[in-house]
Amino acid sequence: MRMIVCIKQVPAAASASIDPLTKTIVRTGQKAVTNPFDLHALQLALDLRQQTGGTITGITMGLPAAAAALRDGISRGMDGGVLLSDRTFAGADTLATSYALSRGIEKLGGADLILCGRMATDGDTAQIGPELAQQLGLPHVSDVCQVLEIAEDHLVVRRVWDELEQVLHLPLPAVITVVKSSRTPALPTLSGMLRAKDAVIPVWTAADVGADPERCGLRGSPTQVVRTFAPQARRQAQVLGGDVGTQAQALAQLCREVLREQD
Amino acid sequence: MCETQLIRPLTGGDAEYLRDESKQTGHAVSISFPETEAQVRQVMEETARQGLAVTLQGSRTGLAAAAVPFGGHVLNLSRMDKICGMRQEGERFFVTLQPGVILQKLNRAIAARQMDTTGWSEQSLAAYAAFCRAPAQMFTPDPTESTASIGGMVSCNASGARSYRYGAARSHVTAVRGVLADGDTLSLRRGQVFAKGYDLTVTTDGGRIISVRLPQYCMPNCKNASGYYCAPDMDALDLLIGSDGTLLAITEIEIALLPAPAVTWGVTCFFETQQQAVTYTHGVRQLPQQPAAIEYFDPESLNVLRRQKAQHTAFAALPDMDDAYGCAVYTELHCDTEAQAYDLLAQLQRCAETSGGSGHHSWVACSDSDRDLLYFFRHAVPESVNMQVERYKQHHPGITKTAADIAVPDGCFEDMLALYDGALEQAGLQHAAWGHIGDNHIHVNILPRDPAELDAGRALVAQWAAQASAMGGAVSAEHGVGKLKAPLLELMYGKEQVQAMAAVKAAFDPGWRLGRGNLFPTEKEVPVCE
Repeated sequence: MRMIVCIKQVPAAASASIDPLTKTIVRTGQKAVTNPFDLHALQLALDLRQQTGGTITGITMGLPAAAAALRDGISRGMDGGVLLSDRTFAGADTLATSYALSRGIEKLGGADLILCGRMATDGDTAQIGPELAQQLGLPHVSDVCQVLEIAEDHLVVRRVWDELEQVLHLPLPAVITVVKSSRTPALPTLSGMLRAKDAVIPVWTAADVGADPERCGLRGSPTQVVRTFAPQARRQAQVLGGDVGTQAQALAQLCREVLREQD
Repeated sequence: MCETQLIRPLTGGDAEYLRDESKQTGHAVSISFPETEAQVRQVMEETARQGLAVTLQGSRTGLAAAAVPFGGHVLNLSRMDKICGMRQEGERFFVTLQPGVILQKLNRAIAARQMDTTGWSEQSLAAYAAFCRAPAQMFTPDPTESTASIGGMVSCNASGARSYRYGAARSHVTAVRGVLADGDTLSLRRGQVFAKGYDLTVTTDGGRIISVRLPQYCMPNCKNASGYYCAPDMDALDLLIGSDGTLLAITEIEIALLPAPAVTWGVTCFFETQQQAVTYTHGVRQLPQQPAAIEYFDPESLNVLRRQKAQHTAFAALPDMDDAYGCAVYTELHCDTEAQAYDLLAQLQRCAETSGGSGHHSWVACSDSDRDLLYFFRHAVPESVNMQVERYKQHHPGITKTAADIAVPDGCFEDMLALYDGALEQAGLQHAAWGHIGDNHIHVNILPRDPAELDAGRALVAQWAAQASAMGGAVSAEHGVGKLKAPLLELMYGKEQVQAMAAVKAAFDPGWRLGRGNLFPTEKEVPVCE
């Protein structure tokens, strides 16, 4: 099975900051890590490769430094990786990012299965996977926690939402997004680290992947970040008195008021 | 605070102050929690008037029962927890602190460069400003229990994994000040007072001259926390470090910081057999660049973790281990550059392959989250063993874990390992061993399932202590002697030398009040197991 894992380099939790002018995340000079959700997607790919054989290629879009995330993936068992890096890609929202990734994946010759982490910890949108499937014209299932069956032309996957569990039949090729599982993703190995260090990571520009500049980066991004701010926490405690019935009525009244405020 | 408030009778609510992590329980009549050196002096003077023995306590994380009282008064120093100042000498920084400062808090303050500087001198503030601008610093002693107090660490010359490269607490303590049993104070700074041969004289702040003839035993040529440090022409400060709360109550310590490495990577290599792990360790020790730590996990340690991971959700995050993995060696690399670290990785891979292992059967942690995972792995072993012992205690409340803290000189480790294996196999005791293989020092833990196995385990530890002593090893390499290992000291040094050690104590503490039962066994009063 030929698999592609989409990987993103994100700021380490302790070092994330927002540029006050552009309202975007400051990435230069910050400690960066591989998006934790993507490590779970990679782990699932590694498990599938163990069952069926095949290859796992990582793809990412970002600054040249983002190649480190691909090397991290290789050190954990990925076969190789490709970096999309070009000023044309800069400032991309999820639509422009998924477009660029789709062009890169097509240049790679496509795959039987494309895996993404459920979301990235810096953007929290969970949009890339579904948008990528749309860009590539492939079926997709989001929030996969387990692959129950794997065949040449389909997968049977399980996904779990808050109160809902679904078992879905998914024809291949397809895109899935993967949630964090209780299983800890594989750590890098000595041999993986040394292979990753020497791995050649191709760097592709927008022109290399035949991307339309109008659909890339800031120009191709309909999302406008108007303002980024830390939410003001509002906490107000009120003790309801009386018997249970009175308390319930008072609580219902408070709920109505809060809902009216939100409308 | 008046005396009556400072010293109060021990009540039922103080039960926790009668025990420490050794799981032994003692008894006492009164307790105090001084916050200043003046209050420590008050306590010493008042208890001297009452003729009470005084047991010193920090955060009670010790494993040798040094903080468990044998009657008398408990002087708990945990509220003396301030970082008092800083000093700069060239590019090096030195921190002065009270004994109750917790290691974890100290490390966080150093890493974040956030210290409460209230009341600091101008000189300290200037050094602190330079420290905040300087490259990152660290305090290297890292005992497993990060809630240990610095005073406790100095008292038992604690070390931890990174002592392989950086040495134990002694190497990083540059001054100690404390209160003697009579209330007088003594300050010693490294490089200022030395013994003349084996004759050592120190002068207290009150003008009392303490002259001692140091014991003339040969210090073991390995990691050691067994009794007083004694050597010809030694620095007087080294006598106080590792004195197990028997000479004075430490009230102020100065520690030296080191520049933190730019790159810290952890590497765990798995092997099928113990012999492969030992061969790998030999190879790693020969590398031109010394790792910070080399730690071992025996087959039973890995099995304990496998069981914990399967049975307890709290351990579910442990990484999966192949069933073929028999044991593991963890190596921590501290490097200036990533290129240097990669070079070391290549050398570790070669060591693994020539030892019968493989670069594929390994974990490497470069990121904070992966390092945390390996840290969790390392600490889950003792935690899991403790949980197992707790389960056995439900059936036999009197039992407790029995562990060896023995180190031997280079060239003797494999012999010692063979003695451990042979005895354990013959005794049929449940056990797990892990620890500082780079220092020829592993902790063999026996998990007794009933009182008979507890006795058998204790007998084995005593037997190993004698065998290690015959090899020139140490009966306690890092936990200190306290009360639990006190009977082993004679095996190591001989009766005459222990008596010479007792004479040193008597010179500092003529009333024999401090740390009664530590280092020197007291037959009359024995702590009881919980």
